[in-house]
Amino acid sequence: MFEEASEVLENMLKWSFPLSLVLFLVLVCPLRAEAAHEFSVYRMQQYDLQGQTYGSRNAILNTEARTVDAEVLSRRCVMVRLADFSYEKYQKALRQSAGAVVIILPQNMSTMPQDIVQQFMELEPELLATETIVPVYFALEDEELLSIYTQTQISSSSQGSSSAAEVLLHTATANGFQMVTSGAQSKAVSDWAITSLEGRLTGAGGEDLPTIVLVAHYDSFGVAPWLSYGADSNGSGVAVLLELARLFSRLYSYKRTHAGYNLLFFLSGGGKFNYQGTKRWLEDNLDHTDSSLLQDNVAFVLCLDTLGNSDNLHLHVSKPPKEGSPQHALLRELETVAAHQHPDLKFSMVHKKINLADDTLAWEHERFGIRRLPAFTLSHLESHRSPARHSIMDMRSVSSLEGAGEATAGPHVDLTKLSRNTKVIAEALARVIYNLTEKGVGGDLQIFTEQMQVQEDQLASLVDWLTAQPRAAQLLDKDSSIVNTLEYYLSRYLKDVKRHLVRADKRDPEFVFYDQLKQTMNAYRVKPAIFDLLLAVCIASYLGVLYLAVQNFGLLYGFLRRVTAPRVKQH
Amino acid sequence: MKPSHFNSCIYVQSETRNYSKIDSGSARTFKGDAPEDFVTCSCHFKITILLDPRRINHTESSTMTLFHFGNCFSLAYFPYFITYKCSGLSEYNAFWRCVQAGATYLFVQLCKMLFLATFFPTWEGAAGVYDFVGEFMKATVDLADLLGLHLVMSRNAGKGEYKIMVAAMGWATAELIMSRCIPLWVGARGIEFDWKYIQMSFDSNISLVHYIAMAAVVWMFTRYDLPKSFRLPVTILLGLCVYKGFLMELFVHVFLLGSWTALLVKAVLTGAISLCSLFLFVTLVHSN
Repeated sequence: MFEEASEVLENMLKWSFPLSLVLFLVLVCPLRAEAAHEFSVYRMQQYDLQGQTYGSRNAILNTEARTVDAEVLSRRCVMVRLADFSYEKYQKALRQSAGAVVIILPQNMSTMPQDIVQQFMELEPELLATETIVPVYFALEDEELLSIYTQTQISSSSQGSSSAAEVLLHTATANGFQMVTSGAQSKAVSDWAITSLEGRLTGAGGEDLPTIVLVAHYDSFGVAPWLSYGADSNGSGVAVLLELARLFSRLYSYKRTHAGYNLLFFLSGGGKFNYQGTKRWLEDNLDHTDSSLLQDNVAFVLCLDTLGNSDNLHLHVSKPPKEGSPQHALLRELETVAAHQHPDLKFSMVHKKINLADDTLAWEHERFGIRRLPAFTLSHLESHRSPARHSIMDMRSVSSLEGAGEATAGPHVDLTKLSRNTKVIAEALARVIYNLTEKGVGGDLQIFTEQMQVQEDQLASLVDWLTAQPRAAQLLDKDSSIVNTLEYYLSRYLKDVKRHLVRADKRDPEFVFYDQLKQTMNAYRVKPAIFDLLLAVCIASYLGVLYLAVQNFGLLYGFLRRVTAPRVKQH
Repeated sequence: MKPSHFNSCIYVQSETRNYSKIDSGSARTFKGDAPEDFVTCSCHFKITILLDPRRINHTESSTMTLFHFGNCFSLAYFPYFITYKCSGLSEYNAFWRCVQAGATYLFVQLCKMLFLATFFPTWEGAAGVYDFVGEFMKATVDLADLLGLHLVMSRNAGKGEYKIMVAAMGWATAELIMSRCIPLWVGARGIEFDWKYIQMSFDSNISLVHYIAMAAVVWMFTRYDLPKSFRLPVTILLGLCVYKGFLMELFVHVFLLGSWTALLVKAVLTGAISLCSLFLFVTLVHSN
């Protein structure tokens, strides 16, 4: 048969060259199999800050899936649900040099009990602190992912079972999953620009007026950049700052209420990365320009950080304000307003010295303090180390009225409390700039009422817009829509709205960001190798039976002949 | 990435602490010191390469999937090979004639496609409702298959069995290459495992038997000395052959059969048709 075949093929090949070319192209074309399931995954943070590396160094994976209870975890992709996640399991996976870790988060965080959310929030900085080459991904759970997880769990947990025959049967019938990401290896993003925005309201009455600076950083931080929505920290701070800008620009537009203070509003970027925006802005304004509002007469700098919740309000200072200074005036006014107008609010001052030996600064006011500008930070959090400041669980805003029945897990913005805090700050600032206490105005007088009142709807829509997309510093470049919208909003109320860009130094970068933070992961159904062998054995036996059947076809033929022959003979 | 071969060793060293291991050699027990995923036997090398962060390796998975492709292909093709060998066609130098039969198959399929495209435009009716009449009409076009088979058989001189086997082998092989090889190559080689490739290979076996039966029935139909009493059964069998696809789709749609059950039903149906046609053939040939 092969001789004739080769003859025929020779003849055919002479005139079928184009056909073979087409065939060759078809055979060489790359393999694109359909996956059982395709879903988005978000990578853990990866960044360098002041030379120190943090987070997961690796982005690609092409490994089989297992759950944490499996015995062999090396070179496998370990899938964990948030409810089962614990630091020991994570360490176990890393110790056994797992191929990757995928943490499955529920679609709706409010279904998670409080203690799990709390535990995860405390774990986030620990996860980041250990630099690892294992890629760590977060995925949002849906039905198919859940079914993949359950199947993997069943096959993983039964791997410790006893006899060889059981193992054989199990590996032959089980359904494994191969997880593959489509992107490339992560590399440093070169020339990333962090944008900050400033705007001002000039005071009435000539030169040399004192300046009050209001600062809030607009970026957010969490263990995965694409999942950090930062509702309370620092979406609330940004919302308060924008609302103050609106209120005071209104006051300043009437001649009678135009006060003798310059108001400078600053939205800083890179706040969660040791306040890079603020640092460079200060350097540029104090060292590199001749005249700037910051060089002359600065009354004080008020930083707003996490104001969206709770009945506490803390004024963090690095040095207690001296009597008679404008800082002391603000402290006093805040106490007055809180005591007289909002007795449910507990206001206090927290004194913490600047510790330059720490890796990162505690609050934003410390940047100003280093440059000898009087500054403080207002926050409802008592400590800068609170996990609520850098958690991915910080993602919703709830009004006390509608959320009254359920206890929302995790940090979130409570709009009534946010608007109350805004009012307190606005009243205190107004009392300082109009010098109301010295003029004998009582603590009960409310300025911001009726037409000038703090608009809760405005705050609500601001917080909703800010939490609609992730605001990690690595995702907001100078053309991003958030920066543009903030600039537009500021320019409606303030004058001289300017952008300020920060780029890392080439030779000794203060911060380095990495890409490949969001990937598409494919889960392919695979069978273990032994399954192919079993199948080959079965097919070989089937073919053997078939061969015997065809060889003995004559028997069937003869049988049928004998069956039909008597009938014919009778004809 | 280096391509992998079934019997070669590949050693990959990376710059980190990870390096590859090749496990080969004699059979090992499943338990004991070997980790449970190191299943080895002397005929098969399994390559385990620890993940190097700088390189993705598909070696392990692509070896396995090529093996699966090999499984499916051998399941599909070997029966044809066995039939060719054991039916004694090789002694008659029938290879070229089979190729001609295959070419006729291609030609007939082309004509059918043109006809369907011209006279049966896509039905814009309600989606999800199975269009019985439309599908029935489309199945009727498959009568061209019978004409094609008749054409092939009439051009071959020789005994009845020879003509039938040559026509059926060529026809079925052409169908195998055209409609099954490409999906197998593209699909079975992929990482994703699906039972449908094994089912496709089984289906090709069933098709072989079906075409042999169909060629036999066509041959009997065109015989001048066919007794009157045979006309009716032969015509019924002929109709069943042509509309078998339509009947299968009907069954699947009405009874909502799973894929393996449908395959079983198809095998049973084809078996019944071929047994009947064999019976009639034997009776016809040996009554003279």
